[in-house]
Amino acid sequence: MATTDTCFHCALPNPAGCDFTVEIEGRQRVVCCPGCKAVAELIRDSGMSSYYTMRDTPTPGVGKPPDELAEWQAFNNDEMLRAFAEVTGVQAEATLYVGGMYCSACSWLIETSMTNLHGVKSVEVNPMTHRVRIQWDHQQLGLGDLLASLANLGYRPQPLAPNDASRPEIEEQRLALKRLLVASLGMMQVMMFAVGLYAGDFQGIDADMQRFLRLVSFFVATPVVFYAARPFFTSAWRGVIARKPGMDLPVSIAIGSAYTASVYATFTNGPAVWFDSVAMFVFFLTLGRYLEMRARHRSIDRSAALSQLLPNTTTMIVAGEKSVVPVASLKQDDVVLLRAGDSIPADGTIINGSTTVDEALLTGEAKPQARQCGDSVAAGSVNIDGLIEVRVVRTGRDTALGTISRMSERARYARPTFVKLADRIASHIVVALLVIATVVALYWYLTAPEKAFVITLSVLVVTCPCALALATPAAFATAGSRMSQLQLLVTNGDAIEVLSKVTHAVFDKTGTLTLGNPQIESVTVLDNKYSEADCLRIAATLEQASSHPIAFAFRSDRSLARVDHSEVHVAAGISGIIDQQTWRIGKAGFATSDHAAESSDAVYLGVEGHAVARFELRDQLRADVRETIDELRAMGISLSLASGDHEDRVKEVASLLGIRDVSFGCTPAEKLKLIESLQKRGERVVMIGDGINDAPVLAGADTSIAPGHGAKLAQTSADIIMLGDSLQPVATALRLSRCTMRIVRQNLMWAIGYNATALPLAVAGFVPPWLAAIGMSASSLVVVLNALRLSRFT
Amino acid sequence: MSILYVLIPLALLILGGAVWAFFWAVGSGQFDDLDTPAMRILMDDDKAPKSDANANTNADD
Repeated sequence: MATTDTCFHCALPNPAGCDFTVEIEGRQRVVCCPGCKAVAELIRDSGMSSYYTMRDTPTPGVGKPPDELAEWQAFNNDEMLRAFAEVTGVQAEATLYVGGMYCSACSWLIETSMTNLHGVKSVEVNPMTHRVRIQWDHQQLGLGDLLASLANLGYRPQPLAPNDASRPEIEEQRLALKRLLVASLGMMQVMMFAVGLYAGDFQGIDADMQRFLRLVSFFVATPVVFYAARPFFTSAWRGVIARKPGMDLPVSIAIGSAYTASVYATFTNGPAVWFDSVAMFVFFLTLGRYLEMRARHRSIDRSAALSQLLPNTTTMIVAGEKSVVPVASLKQDDVVLLRAGDSIPADGTIINGSTTVDEALLTGEAKPQARQCGDSVAAGSVNIDGLIEVRVVRTGRDTALGTISRMSERARYARPTFVKLADRIASHIVVALLVIATVVALYWYLTAPEKAFVITLSVLVVTCPCALALATPAAFATAGSRMSQLQLLVTNGDAIEVLSKVTHAVFDKTGTLTLGNPQIESVTVLDNKYSEADCLRIAATLEQASSHPIAFAFRSDRSLARVDHSEVHVAAGISGIIDQQTWRIGKAGFATSDHAAESSDAVYLGVEGHAVARFELRDQLRADVRETIDELRAMGISLSLASGDHEDRVKEVASLLGIRDVSFGCTPAEKLKLIESLQKRGERVVMIGDGINDAPVLAGADTSIAPGHGAKLAQTSADIIMLGDSLQPVATALRLSRCTMRIVRQNLMWAIGYNATALPLAVAGFVPPWLAAIGMSASSLVVVLNALRLSRFT
Repeated sequence: MSILYVLIPLALLILGGAVWAFFWAVGSGQFDDLDTPAMRILMDDDKAPKSDANANTNADD
């Protein structure tokens, strides 16, 4: 359970001096903010405290309610109801996306609290897809009320238009489950009849009874072949048309020919039927595919859906009248009013007012950008300080933000080259198998024609390269989903394979080894007229004009002085007039004239060109840097540090961590050169650095890992993004990738070894079809189950 | 043994019924989430003050 350092509700670290507590199950629990307190009290007062004992450990921040309250009332009208719900009489039915739902306890909490609302008929929660389907009486309860009560529980609800609500994964899974059931029930029945038939072969059986048993086997096996095994036939046919025969081709030939021959034997009183082998083969294949599909679906994570990055409601101006409307109803040429702090809901042009906007989400540029009347603004950026009116140009998926998120989604679905290679090899093997089967059929037809069919069938079944084809994708899908559970987002499918071969890691310093938000370490007063507190107060006053990371170091709760004509000088500092004197803060040469020669990177405060104080700033190391570095070293990976920072700072961090290969004052081009020289020596390099400024460097390395923070995720070009404040995921990613490749190798060896042993036995005629079906299926299942071991990797 | 001519078709009919029932259950979404139902039995909202009150009024009736 949560300790007192972290919020009981959302698991974020508690701020210093935090005194919000909630009494739950007889104990005082510390929470981090009034929002979490309200949510926890609501959960307790509705008698659902057991949520806290049943849930999984939350990702920090997941349940934290947003600071600003969305105006849910805007959803309480007929127009919205028709846009988002299907209405029949007084009944309405809608699908909501609920951000922040992460485990079964969440779905229980949502279901119970929604069912308790007056007017709600039924609630269906699906934690896998983050969707809630609600039926309710829309005369008693508005859509907005439903959304508001979800938001009160700390979730981020979003109504979905009917076209967005359907989920292809759900349909796929339902169909696969039905097929699996038909195959399994069919197999059990046919096996039962087969026992009778086999017993009859030994003990003698009525000719009528034999025909009857064969006939019922035929009835049961037919849906198994035509319904459960249909995906194999369609995929085999697609392969034939594309001239890329896949592993489904021999499977289909085996199923099709065994079934046809059995039907023929049934109606002509032939010597034997193979319905049991057919049904068993289809069942095991379907089971293998079903397991693989579940692993794949689990790795799809669209919780960072585009709509979650946009606000829910906005203020629209129609003929001078202001009204709050849902963002989803915005159209081109609508005019919206944005106050300071609002997120911009759509791409558009400013038609009134001017402001600065934070576009970090789109461009990665942390510095606010000035925008005037006539300039364009992009959806997902934040209006920082002005009051503006914007004419909407593009909405929803057409915006720049929509394009970015679509691109990153596509990257996540792309198949890694390694898997594609395995597919190509499998298709060569398929052709070889078909040739072998033909040769075998011809040989046995010439020597012992009565055995030819059975043996060819066994060869086709036993050598099916299913295990070979499943070996890699199953392992990669499982590794990908395990990585996201371990706070790592894989954006490039090739990353896992490359990472497993890495021999050298290059670290950036700022924002990677350190947290990237400097703090004041020491203050040296140079003019005795002022006290340290005075200096800090004046510095804080001046720095409030800037949003540079350094400025945040000076932020304080102290009452600030009055400042006039405050001005930010790019790459130098800030000036302002306090008590009729011109104060400057920034680089030595800018703030003072008497210390101008000093090139240290300390921050100087000066009045009328005369130095008053010097501030030494220091960036905090991430908490577990040392352990992670030691772990990497223990794995045999050599380490370098390359930073754009000053020599002393970089060397200090390096010696603290024991990294010997150090470069400082590097431009991105120099970092790239360093990586290239390492690669020339034959090293495989992983670059761990800030994904935004170092894009070319990250691209130049064999693979890359970047620390990610919420909004910047979309922009990061790294192959793997680690979430959270810890550096530990770097080591975890390396270990997991090595483990994945080990499992892939085991799988491939198993599959090849199995086929190599089984093929000669089948060719020689030692393997009956039912044994071939068991052998082939067992080898596929071994491969999938072996891959699923990765989901328990720690 | 001729009873088999009745029993086996009967078994097939029951099988058909089972498949139909399962298809209906899958179609109505009962198999979409396989994790929550396992937990539901462990969590009950009897502790809710609201439902306690309801229970009392019902008992009075």
